[in-house]
Amino acid sequence: MGKAVMKSVLPGFGITLGFSVLYLSLLFLLPVAGLFLFTLQMSWADFWVAISHPQVVASYKLSFAASFIGATINAVFGTLVAWVLVRYQFLGKKVVDALVDLPFALPTAVAGIALVTLYSTTGWVGQYLYLWGIKVAYSEIGVVIALTYIGLPFVVRTVQPVLADFSKELEEASASLGASRFTTIRRVILPAVLPALLTGYALAFAKAVGEYGSVIFISGNLPYRTEITPLLIVSKAEQYDYNGAAAIGVVMLAAAFILLLIINSLQWWASKRG
Amino acid sequence: MNTLSPTTDHAITEAPWIKWSLIGLALSFLALFLVLPLAVVLYGAFEAGINVWWQAITDPDALAAIRLTLLVLIIVVPTNAIFGVAIAWAIAKFEFRGKTLLISIIDMPFAISPVVVGLIFVILFGAQGWFGPWLAAHDLKVIFAVPGIIIVIMFGTLPFVARELIPLMQQQGKDEEEASLTLGANGLKTFWYVTLPNIKWGLLYGVILCNARAMGEFGAVAVVSGRIRGETNTMPLHIEVLYNEYMFTAAFAVSSLLTGLALVTIVLKSMVEWKDERKHKTH
Amino acid sequence: MSIHIQQVNKHFGNFVAVDSVNLEIKTGELTALLGPSGSGKTTLLRIIAGLEQADSGIVKFNGEDITTQHVSERGVGFVFQHYALFKHMTVFENVAYGLTVRPRKTRPSKAEIAEKVHSLLKLVQLDWTADRYPSQLSGGQRQRIALARALAVEPKVLLLDEPFGALDAKVRAELRRWLRRLHDEINVTTVFVTHDQEEALEVADKIVVMNKGRIEQQGTPEEVYDTPSNPFVYEFLGNVNLFHARVKHGHSTIGNIHIPSPEHAEREEEQQGLAYVRPHEIEVLTQPTENAIKVNLDLVTIVGPVARLEVLTEIDEQLIHVELSKVQFKQLGISKGDNAWIQPRYSKVFLGEGI
Repeated sequence: MGKAVMKSVLPGFGITLGFSVLYLSLLFLLPVAGLFLFTLQMSWADFWVAISHPQVVASYKLSFAASFIGATINAVFGTLVAWVLVRYQFLGKKVVDALVDLPFALPTAVAGIALVTLYSTTGWVGQYLYLWGIKVAYSEIGVVIALTYIGLPFVVRTVQPVLADFSKELEEASASLGASRFTTIRRVILPAVLPALLTGYALAFAKAVGEYGSVIFISGNLPYRTEITPLLIVSKAEQYDYNGAAAIGVVMLAAAFILLLIINSLQWWASKRG
Repeated sequence: MNTLSPTTDHAITEAPWIKWSLIGLALSFLALFLVLPLAVVLYGAFEAGINVWWQAITDPDALAAIRLTLLVLIIVVPTNAIFGVAIAWAIAKFEFRGKTLLISIIDMPFAISPVVVGLIFVILFGAQGWFGPWLAAHDLKVIFAVPGIIIVIMFGTLPFVARELIPLMQQQGKDEEEASLTLGANGLKTFWYVTLPNIKWGLLYGVILCNARAMGEFGAVAVVSGRIRGETNTMPLHIEVLYNEYMFTAAFAVSSLLTGLALVTIVLKSMVEWKDERKHKTH
Repeated sequence: MSIHIQQVNKHFGNFVAVDSVNLEIKTGELTALLGPSGSGKTTLLRIIAGLEQADSGIVKFNGEDITTQHVSERGVGFVFQHYALFKHMTVFENVAYGLTVRPRKTRPSKAEIAEKVHSLLKLVQLDWTADRYPSQLSGGQRQRIALARALAVEPKVLLLDEPFGALDAKVRAELRRWLRRLHDEINVTTVFVTHDQEEALEVADKIVVMNKGRIEQQGTPEEVYDTPSNPFVYEFLGNVNLFHARVKHGHSTIGNIHIPSPEHAEREEEQQGLAYVRPHEIEVLTQPTENAIKVNLDLVTIVGPVARLEVLTEIDEQLIHVELSKVQFKQLGISKGDNAWIQPRYSKVFLGEGI
């Protein structure tokens, strides 16, 4: 460290790096390590029982499947929204663009009670779906709706800048070489936005897997059916079953870090392509 | 995009009916997912009239929740802002080993589920946690008390300012700071007169995001708070309690406050981005 | 203010940026540090400024050791390649900065600062830009403001890092003549870094040619251009043709011709060497002559008043560049495909197989 300070005439290296590393360690690294150490106290058998209980396994299935469907919906509609916002002019575009960030800014609990009110069998949207025999609130569909909602900004916000930077000349070149508009979009534009699209997809998926607040109101939390994994952690912690909660928590952490690794690789790929 | 080049323009745009169908589809999707939830909150809050709304938010428990949320913001936002500036300064202006690792560590708190964050601190400081007995012996309370709430929210909003500032300051380099030093300014003056004005919009942007998330943090707080009315309920938790007691109007009334703040956040964020864009255009 | 650099070394990891450099710069001199990228010239300049710390060695201003003095106390004026103007300040605030950040005790009054800034803006002929922001100025204007800002603190030494590197050719040529005149006016010891030999030759009193962290040669522009001390300087300063030569008794033999090489008069044994001949040091003849090489004219390019020829030797088809005035070329009356004879007027032979 002393050597690095000598290399630069700008001051403050020692104190800023020292403070940052201390802060990160105390608030983040050591506590996370604490969770891992805590589970190491458990026997392997106890750990396995805790993470493979049928109720827990059912929650993994729901959390991952619903996150997958939600992220897929966002990949399609998020790309569409990004395209419309970048390429077309229409009244109120600025407002629409700003609104896309709402799921980032609106507290999840507020989103949760808003969604359940909308989609209950008497709600503004739910009553019409109920006429068709579709029950959204307190069902798996409700979980998907909530996870779609909170993942919405990710794909839009990763694809949008790539589309905005995309040179019109490439499209003109493609058109001048005789390609149809559809071929140009499929062969020229889509490959260019693909890394960003996949990054946004992975971000939306990762966010959805860990989401709690916006889901628990609309899901109804029926055991084996609409319980998401984060909910099980909360209820085990509330019952002072720290071992059970920590074991599932470690599984969630591992999943989160794997997803982070995938996202980082995607971003590296995207930057290399850019 | 104008009448000067109708032929090439035609080659790279869609037919009007496709264009308007796409716009219609995108706007319908956004209306369904963004506008309707917003509308239902405001409708629920004011359905029974402004007096009922006012009573709901001036209820002592609601006021206590508002006070607690403000207290958390006052502590968490400046702390994470200072951390963000410090780490961005170290990363952007100096070369050192382990820099890449440090940058990737900063992203990690985003990836961790809020309930896992809460769990981690329950295990550390809870009654049956590692430091629980020691804390109890010294009559200190972290879990089911305000310190626990502050810590988990600090964790959850840790990266926001740092993530805005690091790329910004890396891109700005250190030429201007070096120029300032050659002109005789010391380190603090250089930071105050040169660095800070250059990063102020990014800093503001990060602070706005950090503030919005700190105010709405729910999953992590739900685990550590214990939901003691008037004591450890933040605004989102208060909303949950009201909702679970079927006091829907009151729940929406408190929600409308947070919704208003979310809308203010979005407006500020757009303004900062707009300002930033204009600045880039003139350069 | 004179500058003495003694045994200065600087490494970045395994890369040797500055390798045991000794250099003396006299008061009031305008010196160019000239070299290719990676030659250590910018690092040396930053060490003089105090923006980098040397690993070892001593830097002295006027005989006083300032090696450990911080950049903010050295009193140098530094001009950056990309201007490094403060984006959020007006031109006036930029130029005034060095005065306004002084501690209260030594800070001039507001009126004095304003007067100083305006006189400097007049000096760089940009008085009318005071209230503008740097983003509203052209590159050349920005660099002149950067220079005014550096001069505001009345530096003992003015250091410029590739000052015209980011500008287009025409502005660059204008600005370097302007810098020369400005230097003659204010007469402050000035060091500037450049990779452009023409710039160094035109502007500087003294040129220091650097390569791989070392000084290859130093002297007046004329000295380094006319009598390069080694093959690197020869090749770096201007274009050059290389011929295989045999050297003995003060004479060199290139193919079938002989030219005098007085610098090798003592050489008793015949030795291999490389003869360096600049394109404009070659005479073109249309008739066979003794002591001339027969060539075929392969390509003619007329660039304004200059004719650049590419000729191929008859014996081994070696490509040789020749430069002469357009008028001279027209008088020769030859065109592409014709035969001609060339004769080096001047050459310098370095022993061995060259660099």
